[in-house]
Amino acid sequence: MNRLTRFAYLGAIYLFFYLPILILIIYSFNNSAYSMVWHGTSTIWYKQLVQDTDLQVIALHSLTVGVLAATFATLIGTLTAVALYRYSFVGKKLLRTLIFILIVSPDIVMAISLLILFSTLKMTLGFWTLLLSHITFCIPFVVVTVFSRMVGFDKNIFEAARDLGATDFQIFRRIFVPMLWPAIIAGWLLSFTLSLDDVIISYFVTGPDYQILPLQIFSMVRLGVTPEVNALCSVMFGLTLIIVFSAQFVLRKKR
Amino acid sequence: MNINRRFQYFSIGLIWVWLAIFACIPTLLVLATSLLSNRVDSDFIQLHLTLQNYIGLLDTVYLKIFLHSFYLSGSVTLLCLLLGYPFAYILARIEEKYRGLLLLLVIIPFWTSSLIRTYAIVILLKAKGILNAFLLWLGVIHQPLQLLYTNTAVLIGLVYTLLPFMILPLYANIEKLDTELLDAARDLGASRPRMFFKIILPLTWSGILAGCMLVFLPAMSMFYIPDLLGGAKSMLVGNLIEDQFLAAHNWPSGAAVSILLTLIMGLLLGIYWYTASENNKKEATFL
Amino acid sequence: MRKMKNIICFFILFFLSFSAFAKPNELNVYNWANYMPKDIIHQFEKETGIHVNYSTYDGNDTLYAKLKADPRAGYDIIVPSSYFVDRMRDQNMLRVLDKSQLPNFKYLDKALLDKSFDPGNQYSIPYFWGSTGIVVNKNYFDPNTITKWSDLWEPRFKDQLLILEDPHDVFSMALIALGYSANDSDPQHLQQAYEKLKALLPNIKLFNSDAAKVNYIDEDATIGMGYSGDTYQAMTENSNLVYIYPKEGFVVWIDCMAIPKHAPHVENAYKFINFLMRPDIAAKLSQELDYASPNEAARDLLPKAMRENKAIYPDDKILARAQFEEDSGNVDMIYEKYMEELKVSA
Repeated sequence: MNRLTRFAYLGAIYLFFYLPILILIIYSFNNSAYSMVWHGTSTIWYKQLVQDTDLQVIALHSLTVGVLAATFATLIGTLTAVALYRYSFVGKKLLRTLIFILIVSPDIVMAISLLILFSTLKMTLGFWTLLLSHITFCIPFVVVTVFSRMVGFDKNIFEAARDLGATDFQIFRRIFVPMLWPAIIAGWLLSFTLSLDDVIISYFVTGPDYQILPLQIFSMVRLGVTPEVNALCSVMFGLTLIIVFSAQFVLRKKR
Repeated sequence: MNINRRFQYFSIGLIWVWLAIFACIPTLLVLATSLLSNRVDSDFIQLHLTLQNYIGLLDTVYLKIFLHSFYLSGSVTLLCLLLGYPFAYILARIEEKYRGLLLLLVIIPFWTSSLIRTYAIVILLKAKGILNAFLLWLGVIHQPLQLLYTNTAVLIGLVYTLLPFMILPLYANIEKLDTELLDAARDLGASRPRMFFKIILPLTWSGILAGCMLVFLPAMSMFYIPDLLGGAKSMLVGNLIEDQFLAAHNWPSGAAVSILLTLIMGLLLGIYWYTASENNKKEATFL
Repeated sequence: MRKMKNIICFFILFFLSFSAFAKPNELNVYNWANYMPKDIIHQFEKETGIHVNYSTYDGNDTLYAKLKADPRAGYDIIVPSSYFVDRMRDQNMLRVLDKSQLPNFKYLDKALLDKSFDPGNQYSIPYFWGSTGIVVNKNYFDPNTITKWSDLWEPRFKDQLLILEDPHDVFSMALIALGYSANDSDPQHLQQAYEKLKALLPNIKLFNSDAAKVNYIDEDATIGMGYSGDTYQAMTENSNLVYIYPKEGFVVWIDCMAIPKHAPHVENAYKFINFLMRPDIAAKLSQELDYASPNEAARDLLPKAMRENKAIYPDDKILARAQFEEDSGNVDMIYEKYMEELKVSA
């Protein structure tokens, strides 16, 4: 393969990835309520979006849950991965099986079983039940990501640190966390992505006073995709781009 | 008793408590439900132990649904592999300072609602859609093609959604490939196909397997893509479970299908474990 | 150590949340998405000082499953369709309504009250209503040649039909085409309906409920089933669409407001339901959402073009053929089984 074919191939695949996003953005300016055929330009959907304070609150809810769930899942997931790597303890196999089950369980099954659990525990549905559920389905992805990074670590480092008087917690903070950092970031991003896109589990475990964006989008789409939904997604896409590139910029500077 | 132990107990205890409450109890609930019988009049389940839900799955309808899901997931996996492997290979051979950014660019589109992205594909493929308009403009066709609600549309949608799950593990694997080894082989006169089959393929085998797992498993339950792009004319395992719970109100049977699916996937994982070499096993994540 | 502190804080907050309970002056409305304009909610909040939490579901099935799994989920008003009202009432999931708190009930159209899914409207108040009929694009097919459900079986529609995805709609259609009641639950009749549907398979282009409207507007589908309200909306963007009330009969559904058994804010729920039945509000609702209002007094306030549109307001002669949807008992599992068989053999 020569250079040109290679770049052409990369370009084609990237085009494939971004074409739908491009269409989405273009059609958010479509001058028609229901039709998905082009009917001329209009910014009315963005104006509606700006006026829709409820939707902004809902978007904020989503971000709150996403950030918190990703953070706690990363924390717990990292501790779990380190524990699985370093210690041997009772029921380690069962723990792994449970994590596997969490990954393969269809959403609807997890959703209803969690709802029944919360209902049995007499918990009020809302922010907390939502957060607990999101943390739960994010944990396995963090564990897998972080654990795969640890393979090939030189175990002698930990022994040396221990001989020098470091406590386990210090080893975790001063050695594991820095070495695992890229995987931790990846796990966090993965969790955040999962949390932002989850519909079915969220539908069942959230309560009347805590709506989140994926649910709103999903039920709006059920009654026809309006360009307003596209406008919303375009804005979210723009925001993620800004966040990602500024994060990239900051990280690069730090390095 | 020192501070070491405290940290150890804390981390093990935390995950144990968490998974016991939020994974173990729900799983046991599902397992128990799958062994109970269904009652529609007032409650979904009644306390009567039975294997009926599993026996009911022996029906040929379910066999067909499972086979169709496997067939579809299999074709998607193959397509992703064929498209993703060269992509990951080229990406892993690009100058190092651009790799991170290029990889990130692969993931970013996936932070937009997957449902909305699927609708964007609908806009592209519909009778009066962009692709048809373009082809008509070019003069290649004179009548709009029926692109939407075909098997091709379903494949395009699934490949689009799952391709990154193939690319990422492949990239991670190919990136480690030793170029000197390839140079040596070339110096010794190995032909290109020979080099690929004898060196590159065996060395990246675990990446291929990991990618295939990550594409194959989700494809089984990703039902809204076949529904939206294929016109909901076929049924996948994902639809089946969802419909059992929501449309048929038959929770025990839905739970049984779910357990069966988990078992099959566990089996696939077992095969993966079995076929991965000792070395790959260590690297093959903790599962 | 900061992380440890955070975790501890988290657990403290976690337990604190248990004590947080419903505030008195709230109302939790649980409805379909885009089924209530925001300004109407704001007007209610302004008039009464009650804060409304509006959350949405995407279908009767999900609403029912959620309330079944957690009856104390905290919703005050739900809007199930008629046959789910029937089922939820049977299963003691709804509260009997105290009509003395709903003086505006008198404005409702008698023709839509006291139906078999809820005799005497003890549990439910109509919110919007509509029918399921045939949609045709007159640029592709002559609407005069299509008058009844059984016309859809003609070979000329090969690979053309849009069929609604809800098994209930599909089987009602087949049962009516066979001359049975839409609510028939006789297993033999259902078997016949299944056979009939199997014969329809070659004509089916797609199953879809959510995007039926878009498919008709953009002419991805040119003939098939449709809901009257959706079709009326579609007509505003594609004037070639025609809505047909099939000769053999058709299903009329009513989406109803109801109060769940364990609703925490019953008083506020009454106030809201009564507010929505006020003619000016009901008219505004109907006009903004393009669905047919069950409110007779409100209908007079609508623009003439809407009031006289047969697609959403059929006349009495047409309405005489209507069959009101009810819960035909234990048919969901049978429907589901047949739908599986249908889709597998497609």
